[in-house]
Order: sequence, then C-alpha cells, then structure tokens
Amino acid sequence: MTKLLEVNDLRKHFPIQKGIFQRTVGYVKAVDGINFDVQRGETLGLVGESGCGKTTAGRCLLRLIPPTSGSFIFGEEEVDLAKLTPHEMRPFRRRIQMIFQDPHASLNPRMTVGDIVGEPMRVNRTEQGSALQDRVVELLESVGLQSQDTRRYPHAFSGGQRQRIGIARALALQPELIVADEPVSALDVSVQAQILNLLAELREKFQLSYIFIAHDLSVVEHISDRVAVMYLGKIAEISDAETLYQSPKHPYTEALISAVPLPDPKAQRKREHIRLEGDVPDPSNPPTGCYFHPRCRYATDICKQETPELRQVAQGVQVACHHSDTLELQGV
Amino acid sequence: MASAEKTPYEKPLLEISGLKTVFPTDDGIVNAVNDVSFSIARGQTVGVVGESGCGKSITGLSMLQLVPSPGRIEAGEILFHRNGTDAPIDIAQVSPKSELMRQIRGNEIAIIFQEPMTSLNPVYTVGNQIAEAIVLHEQVDKKTAHERAIEMIARVGIPAPAQRVDEYPHQLSGGMRQRIMIAMALCCSPSLLIADEPTTALDVTIQAQVLGLMQELQAEMGMAIMLITHDLGVIADFADEVVVMYSGRVVEKGTVDDIFYNPLHPYTQGLLKSIPVLGRTAEKTLPSIPGTVPHPLTLPVGCSFGPRCPERMPECDQMPELAETDGKTENGRHTVRCWLHTDLEGKG
Repeated sequence: MTKLLEVNDLRKHFPIQKGIFQRTVGYVKAVDGINFDVQRGETLGLVGESGCGKTTAGRCLLRLIPPTSGSFIFGEEEVDLAKLTPHEMRPFRRRIQMIFQDPHASLNPRMTVGDIVGEPMRVNRTEQGSALQDRVVELLESVGLQSQDTRRYPHAFSGGQRQRIGIARALALQPELIVADEPVSALDVSVQAQILNLLAELREKFQLSYIFIAHDLSVVEHISDRVAVMYLGKIAEISDAETLYQSPKHPYTEALISAVPLPDPKAQRKREHIRLEGDVPDPSNPPTGCYFHPRCRYATDICKQETPELRQVAQGVQVACHHSDTLELQGV
Repeated sequence: MASAEKTPYEKPLLEISGLKTVFPTDDGIVNAVNDVSFSIARGQTVGVVGESGCGKSITGLSMLQLVPSPGRIEAGEILFHRNGTDAPIDIAQVSPKSELMRQIRGNEIAIIFQEPMTSLNPVYTVGNQIAEAIVLHEQVDKKTAHERAIEMIARVGIPAPAQRVDEYPHQLSGGMRQRIMIAMALCCSPSLLIADEPTTALDVTIQAQVLGLMQELQAEMGMAIMLITHDLGVIADFADEVVVMYSGRVVEKGTVDDIFYNPLHPYTQGLLKSIPVLGRTAEKTLPSIPGTVPHPLTLPVGCSFGPRCPERMPECDQMPELAETDGKTENGRHTVRCWLHTDLEGKG
C-alpha cells in the first residue's frame, strides 16, 4: 500500500477574545499536535467524545478552517496542502471530498437533486451538457437512487436517502480521499446499516480512502482498518481496529470500550464496568502532564507532571501513555 | 397465563391497553400510537425500543396527558394503580389540566427528556427548578425545599452541591444537566419514571455514568422505569422487559433475554442483526433491512412491516394480532404480532 496522506503535528488553536479591543486572553487547543497517515484504499477511523477535536481535525485537512500549524503531505506529488494558497489549493480540492453529518442541513432545499450532485462538476468544469446529466444519473444509481430522482427536491427524501445524495455529490469529482464526519449518526439503526454497507461497497468500487469521524465505537470498528482514539485534542492511541478493541493499550480506550453497552444482555451482565469519573476537562485550560490523568484509575505521579508522547509499542500500534508497557487492559 | 414462579414484578403499577393516540393533520389523521398494550410492574424496568416515528415517545407523553396539541388520546385505557388506593385511575380519562393530573404528574409519575439543554429553564437556577417541584407537591416552605434540592443534587453525584444549587443551567456540562433533570424527576419519589432517550445526547462515558446512577437510584428508591430508546445496547444493559414498536404498534414484547436471544418478529430480528457489535469484526457486510419506515399517512395495507419483510406471505395483507407464543419460550410472556407465529384458523 502506498501512502496517500501524512499529517504531521497538526494544531488548531482557536483564540479566546475578550473586552472591547478583542484582546486574545487564551487559546482553546482544539487540536494539539496530532500525527497520523492514511494509506491508499484504507479507512482510518477517528473516534472520541465531543470536544476531542475530531471534527476540527477533519475540517483542517480540507482547509475549511486554516490550521494553526502542521503539515499534510498529500498524494504521489507529496505536496504540503497546509502551505498552499487558496488558488494553489483548488486542483487538490476535487481530490479530497467531505460527507457531512446532518443530511437535512447539508443539502440546499431550493436545488433539485440533479443540480446538487451536478454542481461540483459544473464548478470544476469537468463535465458539461448531456454528459453531465448522464454522469449525475450514473452517480445516483451507484448510491442506490434512481434516474427520475434528479428532478426531485431534497425534502422529498428520507434521512437515509438524503445521505445517499450527499455521498453521490462527494463522489462526483472522483476523489481519492473522503472525509466522512459522523455520516450515520443522524440515521435510524436499520438505515445506518444500509449506509455503512454502501460506503464499504463504494470504497472497493472506486478505490477510495476514508477518514471516518464518529463517536460510535462499534460503527467505527465495523468500517475502519485502523482507528485513532482522540482525547482533548491529542491522539491517545492508534492501532489496527481488531487489536485496538481486543487489547487496548491506553486506559482511555479501555474505559471507552467498557462504556459501550453491548446489545447482548448476558454478556453485558458479566462485563466489568469501568466508570470514568467527571467530565472531559475544558480544552482552554487542560490539566498538566497527561491530559487524561484526573480521570485515569492507573495514574501515578509521573502522569501529573509529564505529557506522554505518542510512541510505537508494537507493529502498527502507537500509544501515548507512560504505563502502557506494564498495564494489562481489557478489551471487549 | 399462569406462571408457576412469581417474580417480584407481579404487582402491576400501570396497565396500558388498546391505547390509541392520534394527530389530526391537514392531510389526514396520523395514528401515532395505535392499539398499544403493555404493563409495568412496581420496581420493574420496561424498555420501549423502536426507530424514529414509531410512537415510543408519544406513548410516554400519553401516560402523563402531555400529548402536544392537536394530538389526543382517542381510545384505550391507561390504568394507574396509585399508592394506597385499591381502585386504579384511568389516566386516559383524566383531563390534562385537572387537579388530579397535576397531582400525578411529577409527583407519582415523572419524566426526563432527551435534551437536557432545552428541558431546563435558562433563567432560573437549577436549585430553584428542583425546589419548585417540591413546593408544588408537598406542604413545605421554600427554605426546606431548597435544602431538599441540595440533598437531591448531592444524591445524583454532583460535587459541591451547596454551590451548584445556585448555578444556572448554562454553567453545567451536558452530563450534569441530565443529572439535574434526574434530581428534579426523583425529588418527589415517584413510583414510575419515564425516561425518554435519557442518554442519547450524551457521550458514551457520560452515558455510562448516567445509566449507572439511574440503576443505583432505582435500587434505592424502588421506582419503576419506562426507558424509551433506540439504542439496543442501553436496553440490553438496563431493561427487564422489552416492548418493540414499529409504525405506532407493538410488534413484539417479552423479557430482555427473549427479545435478544429468541427474537420472533422479522423486524426485531432484522434490527438486532443490522447493528454493528463491538468486538465482532468478522462479517464485512451488515445484514440491513431494505427500504425505510413507511410514512404514517400512507401506511401499507395489513402488516406495516410487510413491504420490508423478508418473510412476506399472502396473509400479511391483513394486520395480525399481538398474540402469545405458547411453547416457544420459557417465560411464557413473549408475544408477537406476526402471521408466522399466529394460528390462522383460530382467527376465523
């Protein structure tokens, strides 16, 4: 597998401004130095609780918000997307697309489905006239909609169908990488499975790579090859999906897995439940040392003083924990 | 059915039968809740599960006469066995604004909603809002009510309750707001708590905290809980009995083990198969249910799940009854609304 994207030390600090002169009094470190890479044809899951910076990270990659620092080396050309001007960025935009969470808010209610799906191609002048219409129909069919749907408006579709329209739009420019931000969390359970299957099928068909951002661990596990767990703007652990869930190496991963109730009453009664105390700390005023230490049941003095670096502990497994070598953590 | 061993749950607290709640709209009448029957015993947890629009929330609101206008309860009984009286009250017949309903609401049956942000009043302190319920239902002065509020805040596990009591909702995190909602619901020791998606807006680790808290308080105070959710994991963790709803009707009900290990309705089976389960990475494609939930104004003829059902038969053009499944379960209370499990000849 070849590398498609390499993210180095990505940071996004939002200034907190106060007073009539809007003086900057501090920063919310939404994303605070994360590193990961995405291989071609791979799905990388980005999982964490609200406020952990997973959405901000995704938006920075598309340059929808400017990153504070860091580099994203993309494609065979190894271009650093973070350094490009908006004009230089344009040819790369069509190669990275996004699928949004809310299928009700992300489609323009005044445009027909045909216009919505055709718009990226019109803007980028990749197709015109009847070729464009044919391409729209082809795209709609590949996501399980029909050719007569092009003339209908988004309100005429259910949540799952709208998400399919959003996916067709993301596919219109034949991207290499799709950033999917919570693409199934607004959907009902039975429809969620349809969309997950569709995403997996399209990945095979068009050789796509995904960055799949979600808070639902079981959904992320299902679709991802590798998973990165984020906590308060940092990556706590990255590993391939199966290893992560069977033998987590970071206490936060262990607690997250334990907190997910299994749809299996007997197994659920037998499990040991690790209950984290308190809330996620305020990202504008994070704790010293390891950000997780106030909630961690294994924390020692070193955790309060030194911030652990993300380091490799086994083939393909990286963990940011001082005690990962000695801890015996439980998986599913 | 005569069951040999009596569980501690045998005494009914609330019995719903044939409940029908309708919403007249410009395009026709929507039967949001249609012929729903189930009962809740004292101290028991009943989980109501289904997808959006299946009528699970409206069932909960009907039980408190809180159905938003123009909706109304058209038929059915909601028999509530109050503490200390022998004759049950039919809540379906009680006027929403009557004194009796006010006494029951919040005092004997309490509800917590999904969105802790929108269900708290932003201009009052949380202590004020908890004390309001206490003053309303019990003959106590404001000072005592304020002290009780602090006590309740401590009981739901919020640190520094004496300070928190004077804070406003926006000063609290989502998990804490939901704890305040629980404190408010439980301050009058209700015999039934309706929890409508209590943890859907929360993160998983906070969800685990809140569910754990509800279980602890239930063990302590002995109230029954009706847990409305779409999350089968939460149901498996928490419920004793499960009611599965689809398009306004109950399609299957039974004990939690019956529903998870011996699901009989094709919808229940499909639902259980279509969720990704943590730790089971093997299968690449999830078995999904084709199609979507039908629109409530254009329900299919007969069984509403028919068009999506893999086992569709000619009989499915008629709506089957919710029927006992004799001999197919150890617990004997497993019922299902499906022709596959209904004796055709018996129905004439």
